Amino acid sequence: MQILAQLIASGIAVGMIYGVIAFGYQLTFATSKTLNFGQGEALMLGSLVGLTVVSFTGYWIMLPIVLAFGLVQGAVVERLGVRQAIRTKSEAGWIMATIALGIIFKNLAENIWGRDALKFPSPLPEAPLSFMGVNVLPMEVVIVFGALAMMLLVEVFNRRSIYGKAVVATANDRDAAGLMGINTSLVITFSYSLSSMTAAFAGVLVAPVTLTGAAMGGALGLKAFAVAIIGGLSSGMGVVVGGLILGITETLTGYYISTGYKDVPGLVLLLLVLSFKPSGLFGSATIKKV
Amino acid sequence: MLKVENLVAGYGKVQVLHDVSLHVPQGTLVTLIGSNGAGKTTTLRAVSGMIATQSGRITLNGAEITGLAPHAITRGGLAHSPEGRRVFPTLPVADNLLLGAFTRVTGSRPKGDVARDLERMYALFPRLAERRAQLAGTLSGGEQQMLAMARALMLNPLVLLLDEPSMGLAPRLVEEVFAIIARLKSERVTMLLVEQFAAAALDVADFGYVLENGRVSASGPAARLKDDPAVRAAYLGAAH
Repeated sequence: MQILAQLIASGIAVGMIYGVIAFGYQLTFATSKTLNFGQGEALMLGSLVGLTVVSFTGYWIMLPIVLAFGLVQGAVVERLGVRQAIRTKSEAGWIMATIALGIIFKNLAENIWGRDALKFPSPLPEAPLSFMGVNVLPMEVVIVFGALAMMLLVEVFNRRSIYGKAVVATANDRDAAGLMGINTSLVITFSYSLSSMTAAFAGVLVAPVTLTGAAMGGALGLKAFAVAIIGGLSSGMGVVVGGLILGITETLTGYYISTGYKDVPGLVLLLLVLSFKPSGLFGSATIKKV
Repeated sequence: MLKVENLVAGYGKVQVLHDVSLHVPQGTLVTLIGSNGAGKTTTLRAVSGMIATQSGRITLNGAEITGLAPHAITRGGLAHSPEGRRVFPTLPVADNLLLGAFTRVTGSRPKGDVARDLERMYALFPRLAERRAQLAGTLSGGEQQMLAMARALMLNPLVLLLDEPSMGLAPRLVEEVFAIIARLKSERVTMLLVEQFAAAALDVADFGYVLENGRVSASGPAARLKDDPAVRAAYLGAAH
């Protein structure tokens, strides 16, 4: 029983990271119906830039710098990889373009930071805390609350501020939003910025617990994509639940069956969701009008 | 106030408007009538920048707006209540209205008193006042039409484009919509109205244009167009 609780606790921390990356996928999908398939690389870059900055500033001052870096990186992805595809109404151009940019970012990182996994200094004590016999790293607690806070802040921005409402309006109906005087191209660039910013934030949250390095992004980006599909690309709640499901099944399978199979249950779930509820567990089905 | 000269526009390679010129003077209500497919909606879409213009010249209050993006044209003071209402379904009525004033709140148009204008809209459209907290997607068709008009008015526009405000509404609601248009006219709101109910549109308008296959086939003071035998035969349901 205690082992089970321990495994679930570890799964929650991993799952929240998947959730916050998947949240980033939702942000761009809402406004532009496109995604950054280099989202994992945005996370990796954020983490490595954080690693370089952290030695000068310490962890907490590094955070806003990394967030700012994420904003810029996302804008670059949108301008170079996505804008042209949206303008020409290309159905698939953005897919290859964002994958290509992801590979370029990865090569760039390999040349700057090398190919090896690197240790990221933890801002908090690395001795686990014990809650009723379950050991939890202080950084894992920060991951859970940091991820929730990030999603909550974006939600509050969307609901309360006029600019957030402009983002929602663009997601609802881009043409009509343009008629309100909203620069919808800029809104889409902004959603890419915000998306990369959440990924970069996830990168510096997770790095002290795992390791960092040029190769860290690929698997995380892909699993978070699975989470976005499981939870639904339109549901904020869905990515949290989807992330937790994937994170917990991973740690449970890894312990009770074999670490070699730990990715299987989540991916089977993905296939099941795609077969029976393609809009995701929490997504609302939309009928595409043609 | 709004001038369209020799407008040529369409969708992709399909040219819909061949040579459209029209003029909406300040404080007047001009209507554009014509059968389905004549290019009425396309004209409005070209004016507000939703589709590209191939040639021609559009000016708003003396400033050229040809080829600008829709948001830039809105910032110039043109409001467009589009065909099909196009309200923001996941936002409450109040937020839809506030977004109509987006350019005023964010400083690209004179701000004025946004809160007072909101109350003015609720007075003009009492149904919206009752439903201000409700999501726009849950409103009835008639209520969505009221919302689309009110949202456009929140710009305090120099010119208001109204595309088929009566489309799909029950007869009683059509009357209500026309009563509101008449009231806006009495407040000297400059409007370009596209309508398929040609008779009702010509009753309320000062001036009319008849569009046929992407060209203006007749124009004149609304009262005179109404008595024109050709217009009567084609659009007003008079016996041949």
